[in-house]
Amino acid sequence: MKSLIRDTLVVLLLSGLVAVAVNLFRPNPLPWVADQDYETMVPCPEPLGEVDEITVESDIILDDRTLLIDAREKDEFELGSVPKAVSVPFDWLDPVPEEKVAELVKTRAARVVVFGDGLDPDSGRELARELAGRGMRNVSFVKGGAKALFEAGLGTTGGAP
Amino acid sequence: MRRGRLNKGPKGMRIKKGKATVKRDLFPHSTTGNIGSFMHWKGHSLIALFVRIYLAWVFLSACWFKIVAPASFALDIATYEILPLSLINIMAIWLPWIELFVGVMLLIGLRVRPASLLVAGMMVMFMVALGIALAKGLDMSCGCFASSGADEDPISMLTMLRDAGWLALSLYVLIFDEHPIGVEMIPWFSRRFA
Repeated sequence: MKSLIRDTLVVLLLSGLVAVAVNLFRPNPLPWVADQDYETMVPCPEPLGEVDEITVESDIILDDRTLLIDAREKDEFELGSVPKAVSVPFDWLDPVPEEKVAELVKTRAARVVVFGDGLDPDSGRELARELAGRGMRNVSFVKGGAKALFEAGLGTTGGAP
Repeated sequence: MRRGRLNKGPKGMRIKKGKATVKRDLFPHSTTGNIGSFMHWKGHSLIALFVRIYLAWVFLSACWFKIVAPASFALDIATYEILPLSLINIMAIWLPWIELFVGVMLLIGLRVRPASLLVAGMMVMFMVALGIALAKGLDMSCGCFASSGADEDPISMLTMLRDAGWLALSLYVLIFDEHPIGVEMIPWFSRRFA
């Protein structure tokens, strides 16, 4: 048992010496102690729910019982959106505030349709998944996002996305 | 050896000058009976050889990227949010070389037990780190083989199970590989490393 511990320590020592030597002779040696914190960005997992994909031809977009949500940035929303749509800008890092989710739930809409920038990944789809994961039911997102809605003539005259 | 000074005692034990010297063994009391015969079964060396080659492949492929890109590995370690900043770079510099050493030792059969002990120790360390990261709910890459995004090599219970499997294999070698097949069978090596 003694020789086992001794040999283990020898391996640790030798590997440490080689590691020190190699690091010293590197063109860009790694400093022994980092001088500033590492920027680790680990997203906290948000519960994501199942959502349906719909197209701009779908009747439920303009249905009175539908809550229409614009996931784009606030300034884009102000430039022009779809009538009756409410702005809930999607943020890749921060989840939608609890109060905002509670406010959306209070509308008691039969279904929720979210549209975003229509890019890949689509902010509308991501927001829809987040809302579904946080307890909202019958959540869909519009394929192609605001751009597709504007091209279909469903947007306001405020301006194209 | 002079007659009369060394007497044979019970199986697996020799009595020298009245003082019992038990065979150097991790489980000296199991030298008799079924457990003892299983412990000393010669087939273990052959099975352990395949296990060692597999573990060596795992560790040699794991250390390569970390040696070439220690800064990326340091970032992987930092992502676990366990070690203090002062230890992250030291770990990133040192750990890959331990992996390389044990990989080579297991492969060639040099000091197999210390190497497998180090593998077991590293596996326990990795599993603790993984457990903490999973408990925190971190959505991140394992960083076990190469720095990659969380989508490519995410940590999960499967990662824990994989490490547990490697831990079991290293313990098998540590406990059962009494006569490792490898360079220590060569007289020159056995004389110098005895």
